[in-house]
This record gives sequence, C-alpha cells and structure tokens, in this order.
Amino acid sequence: MKVLTFSWEYPPAKNGGLGVACFGLTRELLHDGVEVTLVLPKTQAIKGDVRVLFADTERLVRMSEYEQSFPGPYHHATTMVDSVIGYDATGKPILRSRTILEEAHRFAHQAAIIARMEQFDVIHAHDWTSYLAGIAAKIASGKPLVLHVHATSFDQAAGDNVDPSMHQIELEGFAMADRVVAVSNYTRNMLINKHGVQPDKIEVVHNGCDAEEVVALEPTLQALRDQGKKIVLYHGRISIQKGVDYFVHAARRVVDVDPNVVFVISGWGDMIKQVIHQVGEMGLSEHVRFAGATWEQERDRLYQSVDLFVMPSVSEPFGLVPLEALQHGTPSIITKQSGVAEVLTHALKVDFWDVDQMANQILSALRYPVMGEQIVKEGRLQLLGLSWQKAAAKMAALYRNLLQYATS
Amino acid sequence: MLTVCPYFHVHQPYRVKKYRVFDIGTDTEYFNDDSETDLNNRRIVEKVANKSYRPTNKILKELLDQHPEFRFNLSFSGTALDQFEAYAPDVLESFQELVATGRVEILADTYHHSLAFFYSVPEFKRQVQKHERRIKQLFGVKPRVFRNTELSYRNDLAKWCEDNGYLGIMAEGWEKYLGWRSPNFLYHPPGCSKIKILLKNYKLSDDIAFRFGNKQWSSWPLSADTYAGWIHSNHGDGETVNLFMDYESFGEHQWADTGIFDFLRALPETLLRHPDTSFKTATETVQAYDAKGEYDVPDVLTWADTDRDLTAWNGNDIQRDALAATYKMEENVMKSGKRDLIEKWRKLQTSDHFYYMCTKWSNDGDVHAYFSPYESPYDAYIAFMNALSDLKLRVDHVVNEQVAKQAAESEVVSQVSGSTDFVPLAPPSVNPPSNSRDDAESGRVSHDNQTIKPEEKQRLHPLQNIWNRFKSIFPVVPRSNQST
Repeated sequence: MKVLTFSWEYPPAKNGGLGVACFGLTRELLHDGVEVTLVLPKTQAIKGDVRVLFADTERLVRMSEYEQSFPGPYHHATTMVDSVIGYDATGKPILRSRTILEEAHRFAHQAAIIARMEQFDVIHAHDWTSYLAGIAAKIASGKPLVLHVHATSFDQAAGDNVDPSMHQIELEGFAMADRVVAVSNYTRNMLINKHGVQPDKIEVVHNGCDAEEVVALEPTLQALRDQGKKIVLYHGRISIQKGVDYFVHAARRVVDVDPNVVFVISGWGDMIKQVIHQVGEMGLSEHVRFAGATWEQERDRLYQSVDLFVMPSVSEPFGLVPLEALQHGTPSIITKQSGVAEVLTHALKVDFWDVDQMANQILSALRYPVMGEQIVKEGRLQLLGLSWQKAAAKMAALYRNLLQYATS
Repeated sequence: MLTVCPYFHVHQPYRVKKYRVFDIGTDTEYFNDDSETDLNNRRIVEKVANKSYRPTNKILKELLDQHPEFRFNLSFSGTALDQFEAYAPDVLESFQELVATGRVEILADTYHHSLAFFYSVPEFKRQVQKHERRIKQLFGVKPRVFRNTELSYRNDLAKWCEDNGYLGIMAEGWEKYLGWRSPNFLYHPPGCSKIKILLKNYKLSDDIAFRFGNKQWSSWPLSADTYAGWIHSNHGDGETVNLFMDYESFGEHQWADTGIFDFLRALPETLLRHPDTSFKTATETVQAYDAKGEYDVPDVLTWADTDRDLTAWNGNDIQRDALAATYKMEENVMKSGKRDLIEKWRKLQTSDHFYYMCTKWSNDGDVHAYFSPYESPYDAYIAFMNALSDLKLRVDHVVNEQVAKQAAESEVVSQVSGSTDFVPLAPPSVNPPSNSRDDAESGRVSHDNQTIKPEEKQRLHPLQNIWNRFKSIFPVVPRSNQST
C-alpha cells in the first residue's frame, strides 16, 4: 500500500506538535510496511528514513531557510513568509514575500504536478495548510483523500472569531475528503458542531508518545531552587489559544497564598507583549520569569527542574506537552478543553476559565508532593500504552478500509 | 436443615466538599456541599432514600408481617444513621419498625465506617463503643455479632472481638483461605476458643448484589425460583448460606427497573416452600451450629474487588499518605478534647474517602470510577488533604494553647516554690478516672463544644495548686507508662 502524505512541517526543523505527530506516525507506518512518500513545501533536513519530495525543487521555486521563531508560521492565513523565487545573475536569491495562504495555494499547485508523476493508493494531508494540496492531488489522481485535523480555525481563534480564509479551506477540504481524521474526540465534536462534518466520516486517532529513555540533564533555574522556591512551568506558543493569560491570573491567586512560588513562562508568540503587560499590571514581576523560546535540551532542562507543569489551553486538539513533561518526571495540570485529557488520566484537570480551581490545584500539588510523585509514577506507565504504533495501526486500517472498493 | 442468613449493610459517608487550599483556616465545614453534584450529602441521602431505603423497607416490613419465619440482619454505619436523622427521619423510623419485630438483628460495627482497626486499635475501640451506644439509643438492642468496615477481617480482629464478648464475626468466604471447604459452615479463628466466623457465600451474594441486572449475564433475568433452586442445592453441603451485601443493592445499585424489588418480594416465600429451609439471624446461626474447622487469615481480607484485600483503600501512594496523615493526628486530636474536632476527624476516617482516591484502572477501576463523586482520584485527594490540613491547624492551635497555659501555670508555681527546674508535665486533671461516657480515652471531652478553661479547672480542682507546688518532688513519669 502506497500513501502520498502532505505535511507542512517535519523534524528536525523546529516546530510544534504537527511535525512531531507526522514523524511518529510516518515512522510507524513505514515499520508496518506501508510505503509512505512525504511531500513537504520546501527543502529541509529530514529526520529518519522516508522518501521525501520537496515541492520547491525542480520546479524552480525554492524557499529560503525561514528563521522560525517559536510560533509556527501558519496560524494565520495572512502571516508572511519569504520565498526564494529565483536567483539573479550573481547567484543572489530573489526573495518574495507571500502569505501562508499564497504558500498553501502554491503547495497545492505543486501537489497536482507531483500527484500525476507518482504512484500511490491513498492521499493523506496533515492540517489546513496541506488540505488544498490534498484536494489538488485527489483531483489530479482520483485517489481517496484523508485529511488529518491537528487543529482547527476555532482552536486557533480560541472562539468563533475565526480566520475566514482558513475556515473556507477547512470547509472545502472536509467536503472533498473521503475520510477526516481527528486527533481527539474533543476535535471530532468540534468538527461535527462547528464545521458540520458528517459524524461517520470522522475517525479519531489519538496522538502517541515515544517512551524514550530520558537523560538526566544538568538542572537549571538553580538560583531559584537555592532560595527554596517552588517552580511552576508553562511551555508553548504564547497565543490566545494557549490560555497563558488564565495561567497568569491563577499565578496571582497562588502567590496571594504562597509567595514562595515562581512561575516560568517559556515560549514566544503574538500575545507575548500582552502577557508581559499583564504580569506587570498584576504586580507579579517578582514571581514570573520569561524564559523566551526554549528548544530541545534547554526545554528538557526546564521540564526536569520544575515542580509542576501547566497547560492552560483554551482549546487544544491534542496537546503533547504534558506527555513530554511526564517523560521528564514532572506532573501536569491540563485543561479539560484538550484532547490529551481523554487519554491521560494521571494529571490534574481543570476548566481553562476556572482560575480559582487552577490555583487550588497548583497550591495543592505543591503542598502535597506525594501526589505529584504518584502522577509521574503511574502516568509513565500509562505513556507506554500511548504509542505511535497504536496510532499507525489505526491509520493503516483506515487506509485499507478506504481501498476495499477501489479498483486498480 | 439449611438456614439462610441474609445481612444488608447500610452506609452513607459524609463526602468532603471541594475544599480548596484557600479555605484552610477560614472554613470549618468540610461536608456541607450544597451544589447539584454528588458531593451534596443531603441530596444523595434524599435520592437514595427514594430509590432504595423507602421502597425496600416497605417490602421488608411486608415480608416480616407475612412470614413469621423470615429473619435477616442489618448493619448501620453511624454516619448513615446521623444523616437519616438529619435528612430523612422517616427512613430511620422505618428501620426502627423493622427492628422492633424482634426478627431483625443489628450487627456491631465502627461508628464511622473506618479502617481504624488496622491503624489504631484504641481509636477503633472508641468507635465501636460509640456505635454500640448509638444502636442502643436508637433501637434498644446490643449487637452481639461483629462485622468490620468493607467486611475487612484478620485473625487479630477476631481475637479482639472474642476478648470483647462478641459471639460471632463476619468475613468473606474466600478460596485462598477456605481451600476446598464450603463457606456454608461456621469456622473458628486460630487462637480463639469461643467466637465463630460466618462466611459470606460470595457467589450467591454477588448474584444479587452485582449481577442481577446485568443483561450480559448468562442467568439474566434471574427469577426467585431459579435463585431459590441454587440455594436449595446446598442442602447436604452446609448448614447456613450467608448472603451478605450492601443494602443499597436494592434500588440503588440494582435499579427498580431490573425487577429487583419483585425478586425480593418473592424470595422468602419461594425459599420457605422447601420444608427444610428457613431463616436465621446471625446470633441464632452462631448459637445453632458448631464451628467445623479453622479459618486462618493472617493478612487483611475484605469483600472488595477481585483482590479481596485493602488495596482499593491503601493501594497507592496518595491513599497511604492520606491515611498516615489522618492517624498521625490521633494524639493531638484526643488531647484537644474538643468534641467537634474529634467528630470531624472521625468523619474523615470513613473508608470511602480513601476509596475515591483509588487508581486501579483495571476492571476494578471502573467500579471505583462509578462510585466516586469526584472528577478524579486526585481531586478527591486534594479536597481531603485540604480539609485535613484545616483540621490539623485547629487541633494544633487548641493543643498549643493548652501547652502554653500549662507552661505559664507551671512557671508561676515554680517561681513560688523557688524551684528552677521547670517540668512541663500535664496537670493531673488530664487523667481523671476514665468513666466519661463519650470518648473515654480523652477524659477532657466537654459536652457543649467548649473545652474547660484552665481557670475554671482550677476552680473545679482546688487541689491542683497544691499538686503543682509539690509535683517537682515526684519523679516524672510519661503518660503512656502511667496507664500500663
């Protein structure tokens, strides 16, 4: 069985959950004997063994190495990206700025060309930036199309004030898709209620998690630790979807009771200025530290050095960060408005708007360390059951199901 | 001859509300949730009263009136009785009517449905005594057969019961300890001479309590005739079939639409149709039959889960932590002498609180999830520990005040007597003859939520000044040694 997969990101490039999920799923599908051909919008380094096509080679469209800051660039259709559209006589690249939307259309154009050249049975497109590519490939080849929803416009808007172009692409995509894969029941319900997708068209495939051996890293935040401070971490994009403002409100409530707690905010995003202002206005400057965008080792050191992790998302289709924190031995508070809450029982769960309860849980977790120890101990066992292998097996079954009536 | 000994356990805990860290030190009420959730104790008692207690008691009364041979046993937690009194007094009255027939025996129990025996025998004893007084007060009877919380049992518990005059004790009839033997005989514990053990026939009991309404069960729907046939098949293989279950099986665990009430209504008559089958209460059973062998249970045995042990209550770290924190407070709680603090501490000992913190996610885990009013075991733990923290704060405050006052008194006395060695010994009034009706161990329990103030004590005990003056002459003996 051959699958043509379209994705916007892929490791080792620094990116969010989408790349991690594509990688985990692709690796396990290959392991199960599914032939995956991955199509990415621009040339980049690739982690692992997979046949890759870049939608900017051989067609004289080459993107520059885009310096990604922490937020992935695709969360608003109008975010600008620089692309190399050619080279001048001296070999200097000619840059052109495009919006994400334009890039998505360009990707779709290339996808149609690729789909005519390649041999495959199923098309699998990850997230809205690849939906148009998936549709184009389907029109070009007539093969069945699977759209994989890692986030919707409603998640990113944290409400109904959605990006209209993104929403339009979603609606067109879901109409064209033969099957829609949601990363959680939370997302499935959103697709049914907000996008009007037929319930039986949607399959839930929860994300997995790699049970890697975690290396103990050199601790960080030593100065705070030496002062006997308790440390609570947020790590992620700083945008309205992620609920960092609620986290800061909870911090105020916590510090009122226990001034010995410090909150570390790791990450960057379009809401960073607002959050910095908020921290100042609420008189929390002493209690909140901004770590900037942290990656890999630096991020893992944070996970390992703090007492508690909080994922305050307003709307989180899945949410891999609490699983990462768990691997590094840190218990989490997660919001009920997340997909990961469906599969992770060993965490404290709270409604994103219930700042009081969030603060209560933070204080309780710090007061009664036995609870955090147990959450980590039992949660790690649970991680073993949340494998990419399981997700891949479900995907492969879905492909087969789509192909049972196909004639070649 | 085969007799059937049914026993229904009636229990409602005081569920701890969502007690937050912010409430510690400001809110003294832990059990007064008034939301629409299952943490609202009044709401639960009213709900279960309608679904289970009222209709079931009505049927039981009819059955007692119709069949002079019909007998059964009840056990009550004190926390259930207190809540009936407060929220559904008619339910309490209907239970009193049942007991007044003389054919319904009440079993001994801990007042607070606690696991105290395994953590503090002195506290366990106080709870059993308190329970006995309450049963006497409400029903006018004295229990003679013992059953412990969740049917938890161990050899030393049987020994304790024998030493305290009980004729029988109940336990799970579990293959691990029975081997090939039948649960339908009486047994005796090792090292005991008089007390007999009544073993639960868990297969026949669970057919009603757990499987009755299960449509996947091969014997569904179960008729009274079929069930009576199963019981009658034990003729020749035993003397007593002990059917032990939660009272709430009728109407609450098994809803009315399963037909459980019709089943109950028909069962005594169907059983009594067999000329050699009849009913006995626990005491009658113990008096009628001899123990046929030894039932040796060195480790805790309960009626819960497939493990039949205490792991549903103390199997994980947060449960053990909460239990340890609770019983660690015992000394100071008793020292405080404050009746309301002691009572709150005991309400927090109810086993249900620890059960809600269970994280066994196997088949058993589903059962725990079903019975928990909290969103997760961790939320249960947080509410409990916060409430316990508040209680500890209050208890320690009272005790510290006492110590400070005593120290101040001693200081004055030692200055008067010219002595420089200051001995912070408890004044003699701490150890009066322990004949106080309630909470005998403490001795300083007052009856209007007020401790006796030391100034008053001095007025009450004029000899105290003289004692204080001379006590430094006497060797200092720690309290614990004085009592032995």
